[in-house]
Amino acid sequence: MEMKVETGKNIQVNDVSPSGIKIIWQEIKKDKLAMGSLIILAAILLFVYGASFFMDAKEIAKVDFLSIYLEPSSDYWLGTDYGGRDVFGQLIIGTRNSFTISLFITLFTAIIGLSLGLLAGYFGGATDNVIMRVIDFVIALPQLMFIIVVVTIVPIFNVYVFILIMTMFLWTGKARLIRSKALSERELDYIHASQTLGTPHWKIILFQLLPNVSSLIIVNFILNLAGNIGLESSLTFLGFGLPESTPSLGTLISYARNPDVLENKWWIWVPASLMILVLMLSINFVGQALKRAADARQRRG
Amino acid sequence: MTLLKLDNLKVHFPIRGGFFRRVVDHVKAVDGVSFELQQGETYGLVGESGSGKSTTGKAVVKLNEVTSGQILFEGRDLASLSRREIKPFRKDIQMIFQDPYSSLNPKKRVLDIIAEPLRNFERLSPSEEKKIVQDFLDKVGLSPESIHKYPHEFSGGQRQRIGIARSLTLKPKLIIADEPVSALDVSVQAQVLNFLQDLQQEFNLTYLFVGHDLGVIRHMCDRMGVMYRGRLVEEGKSEEIYENPQHIYTKRLIAAIPDLEPEVREDKVQLRKKLTSEYESTYSKYFDENGRAYDLKPISSTHRVALQ
Ligand SMILES: Nc1ncnc2c1ncn2[C@@H]1O[C@H](COP(=O)(O)OP(=O)(O)OP(=O)(O)O)[C@@H](O)[C@H]1O
Ligand SMILES: [Mg+2]
Repeated sequence: MEMKVETGKNIQVNDVSPSGIKIIWQEIKKDKLAMGSLIILAAILLFVYGASFFMDAKEIAKVDFLSIYLEPSSDYWLGTDYGGRDVFGQLIIGTRNSFTISLFITLFTAIIGLSLGLLAGYFGGATDNVIMRVIDFVIALPQLMFIIVVVTIVPIFNVYVFILIMTMFLWTGKARLIRSKALSERELDYIHASQTLGTPHWKIILFQLLPNVSSLIIVNFILNLAGNIGLESSLTFLGFGLPESTPSLGTLISYARNPDVLENKWWIWVPASLMILVLMLSINFVGQALKRAADARQRRG
Repeated sequence: MTLLKLDNLKVHFPIRGGFFRRVVDHVKAVDGVSFELQQGETYGLVGESGSGKSTTGKAVVKLNEVTSGQILFEGRDLASLSRREIKPFRKDIQMIFQDPYSSLNPKKRVLDIIAEPLRNFERLSPSEEKKIVQDFLDKVGLSPESIHKYPHEFSGGQRQRIGIARSLTLKPKLIIADEPVSALDVSVQAQVLNFLQDLQQEFNLTYLFVGHDLGVIRHMCDRMGVMYRGRLVEEGKSEEIYENPQHIYTKRLIAAIPDLEPEVREDKVQLRKKLTSEYESTYSKYFDENGRAYDLKPISSTHRVALQ
């Protein structure tokens, strides 16, 4: 009977109980920080994707030796870098690239992690054993060395290869998270009930188990999205990220490896750093609100 | 007519341990259980916690792997069938679960919960389906508007009714009820029990009723079996077991029922003391050197006891 308490507030809703999305929206509305973050995030993304649509990436990546290291001016809003390239343009395209990369890595790892995690957790036993050994193997690989090797071997190292490699390494955490949740869910009687009612395994996994791990997935997805923006940047900073012809936030920040740029040419790396900070923080704040929405006990009324 | 017959059923769970998670031992949750259910009767399984009652019930609906033995349902051995072969029998054998909170998927509406078995076995239009679900809701005493609600909007007793409605939709012959009222308030327990009896009349059901409350079992069951550590130690008509228990474990189980009348309370205490000493002095009459109960031996045409 105690379990009724937390759900007590749903009583006023008489016909349809609040759907997941409605609860999430209510939670965000109550949290000023999350609401502000969401607005900022939406504004940045709209602007970046909108503006980059009208920009010529080739033009921006073109080296112009007559305008090296120019300070911000009305021609170049954020000045130029050592190749005379417009930093503002690179910032826009870089943000777009970094965000898109993060989005795809998060998406692909989520798909792999979810499928394998659900299978391992639901079936347990031998299936679980095999999947867990694969995960152990991937985790045991020296990640950074592997990336360095791939970067040097692969003839054309571009965004797609980058997404592929990162996906290869990053799905394991999600798979384990989903697995442990699925393992505990499958012991609950509603799963047993479905089995005795003659529902096939795939239907139980998709329609009974999945809805009950969905809040976990959404929250994890959002928090990962923030994490993966930083990840792309830090690798680029180490020199194993994307080539300069593909501007990214990491490329811009990595110019700060040059002490002269770091000390005297702030306009090259400060805006990109701020951009990463703002993106990561705002995604995180939204994610925290989602996390509360997913867990009824933490909701702010 | 015999509907269900368990023949020397064994369910052993492996205990894994050591470095390679090898099987080091087995939990003998059910260790050689045999009994029969006649069409239309209610058979009770009682015993203390961990005695293997639920495991026996779950083996019948294939929620547990059977280690050995037979589960004959209308003469077919379910234990030897694969998951695919068992599917037609799912219609005939249904289960009511102990915990009404975890047995309903919190993310599903009542309509989807009760219609799940229908969708597996029949092709119905949404409106036909809705009508059937509402009929069953009516049978279990819930309003037809309930179909759009989620489980958390109901009380424990109401949820258990939803679970019961779900188990009835396929018109089963046998229902395994695993402590269907033990998670409920005492005031609601009697209600749900009576209601299960009404349904038995209406749908001509056979119940395998699992419980640890002897009072409830006696109220519900025509015959019962007493389980102890995975073995049946006594079996017979409910009043035989209740009035004339033969096995020391059964005697102690009955003596342990709390009594409300103060006069007999003192007698009970004495009786329990007496049984404890009897248990110690006659232990070998009931259990072999490994502490395992003997096989059942008939002492009358209906009454069987595990004696040496
Ligand atoms: N899946 C499992 N794996 C390993 N051991 C199990 C499993 N299920 C049950 N057991 C063990 O089998 C024994 C019998 O359990 P069971 O659930 O059948 O008892 P029960 O008589 O229903 O008890 P209760 O009244 O507490 O429900 C217990 O010792 C339990 O720990
Ligand atoms: Mg049990």
